[in-house]
Amino acid sequence: MRNPLIRRIPRELKGDFHKYIVIIIFMVLMIGVISGMYVGHDSMLAAVNEGREKLNLEDGSFELSKRASQSFIEDISTGKRADVRKYFIDKGIKEADKEVEKALEEELNKQVTQAIEERVREMCKAYGITDEEMIKKQIDSAMEESYEEALSEAKESKEYKKAADDAYKKAHEEVEKKVDEEWDKISDRYELEEEYNPSPVTIYENFYRDAPEDNDGDGDDDATVRLFKSDSVINKASFIKGREPQTDSEIAIDRMHADNVGVELGDSIIVEGKKFEVVGLLSYVDYLTLHESNTDFMFDAFGFDVAMVTPDAFNKLKSRVHFNYAYKYDDRPEDKIQKADYAESFLKALITQTLVYDIEIENYLPEYLRQASNFAPSDIDGDSAATSILCYILIAVIAFIFAIIIGNTIDKEAEVIGTLRASGYSKKELIVHYMTMPIIVTLIGAVIGNVLGYTAFRNVAVNLYYNSYSLPPCHLVWSNTALIKTTIIPLLLMFFINLIVIVRRMQLSPLRFLRHDLTKTRRTKARRLPRWSFIRRFRLRILFQNMPNYLVLIVGVVFIELMLCFAFGLPDSLSHYADEAPDMIFAEYQYMLMDYRDEDDNIIETKEPSAEAFSAKTLLFPRGANVLFEGRGSGGDEKVTVYGISEKSAYIKLESNLTPGQGYISSAFSEKFGLKKGDLITLSEEYENKSYEFTVSGIVDYDGGIALFMDKKSFDTVFDKEKEEFTGFFSHNEITDIDEQSIATVITAEDITKVTVQLNHSMGGFMNVFKYALVVLAAALIYLLAKIIIERNEHSISMVKILGFKNTEIGSLYIIPTAIMVTLFSIIGFAAGYYLMIWIFHVFMLQMDGYFVYYMKPASMILSVIYLLIGYGLVSIVDYIRIKRIPMDVALKNVD
Amino acid sequence: MKESFLEISEVKKSFGEGQARQEVLRGMNFTVGKGEFCVLLGPSGSGKSTLLNIIGGIDTPDSGYVSINGDKLEEMKEKELTMYRRKHLGYVFQMYNLIPNLNVKENIEVGAYLSDNPLDVEEVLTTLGLQDHKYKYPNQLSGGQQQRVSIGRAVVKNPDILLCDEPTGALDYKTSKEILGLIEECNSKFGSTVIMVTHNEAIKYMADHVIKLRDGVVRHNDINSEKITAAELEW
Repeated sequence: MRNPLIRRIPRELKGDFHKYIVIIIFMVLMIGVISGMYVGHDSMLAAVNEGREKLNLEDGSFELSKRASQSFIEDISTGKRADVRKYFIDKGIKEADKEVEKALEEELNKQVTQAIEERVREMCKAYGITDEEMIKKQIDSAMEESYEEALSEAKESKEYKKAADDAYKKAHEEVEKKVDEEWDKISDRYELEEEYNPSPVTIYENFYRDAPEDNDGDGDDDATVRLFKSDSVINKASFIKGREPQTDSEIAIDRMHADNVGVELGDSIIVEGKKFEVVGLLSYVDYLTLHESNTDFMFDAFGFDVAMVTPDAFNKLKSRVHFNYAYKYDDRPEDKIQKADYAESFLKALITQTLVYDIEIENYLPEYLRQASNFAPSDIDGDSAATSILCYILIAVIAFIFAIIIGNTIDKEAEVIGTLRASGYSKKELIVHYMTMPIIVTLIGAVIGNVLGYTAFRNVAVNLYYNSYSLPPCHLVWSNTALIKTTIIPLLLMFFINLIVIVRRMQLSPLRFLRHDLTKTRRTKARRLPRWSFIRRFRLRILFQNMPNYLVLIVGVVFIELMLCFAFGLPDSLSHYADEAPDMIFAEYQYMLMDYRDEDDNIIETKEPSAEAFSAKTLLFPRGANVLFEGRGSGGDEKVTVYGISEKSAYIKLESNLTPGQGYISSAFSEKFGLKKGDLITLSEEYENKSYEFTVSGIVDYDGGIALFMDKKSFDTVFDKEKEEFTGFFSHNEITDIDEQSIATVITAEDITKVTVQLNHSMGGFMNVFKYALVVLAAALIYLLAKIIIERNEHSISMVKILGFKNTEIGSLYIIPTAIMVTLFSIIGFAAGYYLMIWIFHVFMLQMDGYFVYYMKPASMILSVIYLLIGYGLVSIVDYIRIKRIPMDVALKNVD
Repeated sequence: MKESFLEISEVKKSFGEGQARQEVLRGMNFTVGKGEFCVLLGPSGSGKSTLLNIIGGIDTPDSGYVSINGDKLEEMKEKELTMYRRKHLGYVFQMYNLIPNLNVKENIEVGAYLSDNPLDVEEVLTTLGLQDHKYKYPNQLSGGQQQRVSIGRAVVKNPDILLCDEPTGALDYKTSKEILGLIEECNSKFGSTVIMVTHNEAIKYMADHVIKLRDGVVRHNDINSEKITAAELEW
């Protein structure tokens, strides 16, 4: 026979559908969101990973100062390091040989000349010639006649040969000794002596040009477009719409950028003054996010674009060609550790080979550290992980609410439970019975949630990703992980939380159930209350009676406040950052030059009166223990721009008596890593094993970047630069008299705010929806808990009605304690959420490049509490109606 | 007297500690025969409900023992006690304690589910006069009807012992007589041993065996050879 108790479940669901429908909707939404995020995530990642193979994504790339020779390509392809020692010895010997040869020649010449002169003088003496004029004439003619013969005779002489051999030998030994000394230092520094396995690679040309793009035809440049050739076999693109360019006037541009700036297929854009028709919208496999530079804090799909043109069109453009080479390992690395090993080994090969070939490395970036191809997948991963953690917290909150509901049901049904236990029902049977409801509700939530996850929510997630990233097209992927995480985890949460509560409750003896003696700890006396009015003491009793409800409420409210702090704080922080941006930069324009000399070797100058030359270089600051999580940002250490500022700078004021080991740090640098005056920091070179120590002498109020400032003299000393060398100009106005070819980059306030524009675009709309969703969530949570409180007191409410209390009075008795608690918890929750958010932001920022502080407007702070109270206000109206509807006979009935 | 089925031997029970300690049962001794209709009579506080709970295995004596068919309850572990209640006992309380969202028939099935050889639910419904109400929920029934369901839930198990704790305590005269008649019928029809706790002196006339308690001890232990039917009872 089937347990007849099971028939209670559907009736209970039907009988109390208000309560269960809220819980089920809650579960459906939570599970649906997690499922949607995971299915969207898996579908998206499947498309990304498929693209990596299909579109031949590089394993890394390097940019050289000039086009590499065929022999360089061949040598670097082996993955082997160049024999730098031999190279230097050969070079040294060649130079030494020249020197020795020159010295020997001079010496021999001197000796032969001397010998001839002496011989002529002796002969003249023998003939009695004393006239010096005559003697010189004789010497000259003798020189003319026999110099060559004497010289060759001397060269053939044994003495000369021995002397020459000795000289060469000595010079060679000297060279080797010197090179060895240097080599020891270099090899120690680069660890070049150690055993290594070369990783052979295949090298691909992946040249590009960065050109100005005018996408609305107004004559102003709107963005920088990075152009690649359409015949490239590495880092290919997938087309979302349209096709590859086929003529010189056709172009295919990034889909995300096109969406953002409103360019559609068939429109025209102007690149470098030339009109191109947009024939394709694409997604480059190595530009899933439009990071112009790997150190960019955020991608910029407005101001940066990647595009494909035909090789002919590419060759006709005038912007500087970036000699970028992509490589792929012949033996694929298996994991990230191996990727790092390979990358390090390849970098050594690259450094040594470029040294031997006398080429400079402009940039080196292993793919696993490439933000443009890894930011999106890791962000998608992070998003789904974060969303699911948030949802699990909410499911746990729901599970606790459920546990309270069941606890109340057990209270209410104590006598029935006692009777059943007395009749022979085992504890286990009753535990199973009371566990059935939460499990069924979770299962209903999981089934509907998963269906929605695979349909509506998946599309929401995918669209969310498409709104932010330049992703390839994707198709629905069945996700086992999603199914497990959206079914098993909520079930387990619900199961264990309820099991603990129910098992604890069921420990009581049948007799105690029958007597309704359910409290575990027996108070001998009632809690003493202050001598307040009856009404206030009544409310206080209700407060004490419902402590477990209020405990769940505070967890829920803190959680919702945290989310509200996020929903309000992120747009606030972005607009705060954008507002502050003009004050954040110390120069309206920062021109970084390719070199301080132009093509004709003249020092670059400008007539702009506000221009001021400065030196700069990028060093690394170890993030080390500051990082809590890895896998985001550009990876590795924080990049610090070190500035050498002229003595009487109009832009940055530094103390005049700084020594070379001292410097000022930017306020962003100080805040990000908690550095203060007097601290010692160690910065190291990116591609050399060289490090420098600096004492922080002060802090410059500059939030726009992680920077160290020192005077130019110290800069030149520390980095071994010539006095005349510099990197670029600070200027208040645009500099127009410098050849564009000589300018590497220009940094303006816009570059600082592009991150805010991008984030606002990606998340702005979502945040508003999120705020309202949170209000609904808060209201639902409070609704459930308030309903439990009233249900629990139905009997008393009915009784006080009989006694003659008015509904308003009863309302004030039962609603005001919750109102006080909700208000109190909202304020506590806000404070907790606010500080937690500051901490979360800081931890997040530590792993990213750059710095960005969390900020919340005072109005937003108030609103975040008010929003929650609005949610509660709605619930209390429902509560009041509910109290009004409780009939008086409840108190008189035995069974209802 | 019928063959001894239930034995109560030197059962003592007290509540509270120190000065508040109150001895409720002070060495209770008696036996009940199989199939007997036994009434435990006594005023409030005489210990009759406590004794019934100890017989029902939902309370334990401080000393002494209860043995059913030779099995001592004190030697049973919690699981065995549950099995004992499940297989051998039926309980009827003063308050009906029905499950509100199960109908009459289902409430009776709650009892049938526990038994290895339950009675036919329909037959029980007919016997208890609940056929017309079997699809009603408890809140649609009168107090007397609810108590009938409660009896049905206990009887349908076909228990060896039916324990009734003031089953008519909350009912009027007429309904009480009806309920007593039903318990009597169950006793004769299904052969269950009935132990009924009551403070109503009149009920003793329908019992085979009357045990009067006062201050925690047995004052009288009488066999009623001239019992009358429930219908004949007057009070």
